[in-house]
Amino acid sequence: MSATESASQTAPFLRAALRLIGWSGLGLIAVAVALSDFLAHFPAGVGGVGPMLAAPSALHAFGTDLLGRDVLSETLHGLSVTVVRAFLGALVAIAVGGLFGAVAARLPRVMGLTLRGAMGVLAAIPALLLAILAIGLSARLYAPLAAGLAAAPLAFVRAHDRVDALSRSTHAEYARATGISASTLLRRDLTYEFRDTLATVAARALAAVTIILSTVSFLGFGATPPARDLGLMIAAARANYLHAWWTAAFPALALVVLILCARLAADLDEGERP
Amino acid sequence: MLKFAARQAGRFALGLLGAMVLAAAISAIAAPRAHGLAPFLEAICLRFWAFAQLDFGRSAISGLAAIDELGLRMPATLALVLAGGGVALIVGAPLGLLFGAGPIRRAAAPLIQIVTAAPVFCAGLALAYGAAHLLHWPVSVNAPEMSATPIFSRGAQSLEFALLPVLTVGLAGAAAVQLALRRVAAQSAREAFRTGLKRMGLSALEIEWVYAVPRVIAGLLANAGEIMLTLLSAAVVTEWVFHRSGAADLFVKSVALEDWNMTALILFIFAGLAFLADFLGRVGAHALVNEDKK
Repeated sequence: MSATESASQTAPFLRAALRLIGWSGLGLIAVAVALSDFLAHFPAGVGGVGPMLAAPSALHAFGTDLLGRDVLSETLHGLSVTVVRAFLGALVAIAVGGLFGAVAARLPRVMGLTLRGAMGVLAAIPALLLAILAIGLSARLYAPLAAGLAAAPLAFVRAHDRVDALSRSTHAEYARATGISASTLLRRDLTYEFRDTLATVAARALAAVTIILSTVSFLGFGATPPARDLGLMIAAARANYLHAWWTAAFPALALVVLILCARLAADLDEGERP
Repeated sequence: MLKFAARQAGRFALGLLGAMVLAAAISAIAAPRAHGLAPFLEAICLRFWAFAQLDFGRSAISGLAAIDELGLRMPATLALVLAGGGVALIVGAPLGLLFGAGPIRRAAAPLIQIVTAAPVFCAGLALAYGAAHLLHWPVSVNAPEMSATPIFSRGAQSLEFALLPVLTVGLAGAAAVQLALRRVAAQSAREAFRTGLKRMGLSALEIEWVYAVPRVIAGLLANAGEIMLTLLSAAVVTEWVFHRSGAADLFVKSVALEDWNMTALILFIFAGLAFLADFLGRVGAHALVNEDKK
């Protein structure tokens, strides 16, 4: 069931309000990322600015970690790294998944179905495993690209099926009957599709890629120090978080807020896979 | 029914074939002298033929046959996925049916959105923190040696060790289960047949039991592939978080150490499980709804 169908269970004004909250949240996160160097009290990775594992206080609002780094500053820098990398990955997912899927739906039937089948196979493998594999075959430097490619099969399948349904719709039949060429029809459909769904597709891709990227970083396949993202920060905090909760809780909270805003902006149903 | 089952079986077979080609391509990376397009394609064909004969090569790390090595690790992952699936049903089914009704759903929606926005590793760590501080359970997030105990082995402590990974996977699956059930329950509540059946004199309970319940179960079964995918994804992260040495953990290590034969086999098995769940779920759903129509 598509998001549109499922969304019919929710009142339209509530949906609109949630979408607005999501986009506003993403906007605020973008501002925080743009001003992260200004907002953070300390540059990224600078240790010894406070005592080791100090609890949140007036001096260090989010406490400090094992190396005496200010967790608030590190969380802001980590959020910045996560958002920039997730944005790049989302672009890849939209291009390879969304755009390619839409075009594939209008290719000759056999070719389109073959591509749909191949992407269906990839979509049956957890995206996380695909991302890890792609990073293993290339390098950790390409983690955003790998995350985007891993999120692409599902985006491809969704775009393909939507555009395929469009090509069977009455308006397509009328257009063909009036002599409009297949390429013109495709161009028009893509224009309208992108105008109507680009924001939703982009937010959905952002949510999916953020989850994949932070998880691969947590597993040790993503960001490398000193450019620590939120996943890597949480992985590093794992050794101490049972007695110093703030080292993992604040980066995790920032990550959840980012994903939540992207999910709301994408109008995803509760529990729906991005 | 037979025609539908045959079509789904064809789909399943094609999916497995595609997964096998992908696995052969990954495994071909490990083949010697596979540099250049033509030798690589030849290596893919050779690996595909070997896969068809159930020869999955040897693990570059242990030197064991890949299938034997996986045989040692897979039961732990399957146990985790199955137990997680059970938790997913126990937690997700009532939630899905409860949230199928509008007012409750609207009240709980913000909380569910927040919970489902948490990546699995964050949820796992949060559960471990809660278990350690509130229940004073031993947790294995920082102690690999403590997790050496096989899942579900005897003893209260090993049960406590096993419970957290199962809960993590189960809660991830519960999100998918409640979503599937909520959608189908909401759809069923709007079905036109309800009014007709009421006019025929059937009680609300009879309508629910005889007509609505099979549809709801069929809706859940139709999403079995999606739920299995969620459980497998969660198992990968959970095994890493809780230091469980299963197939998913082996996959991460295999990629890190460039053991492509092992990587290929695990991907093939995981894709196969997702396709199998999808196939069985679709056929089961069709059988249920068809029975209902008769």
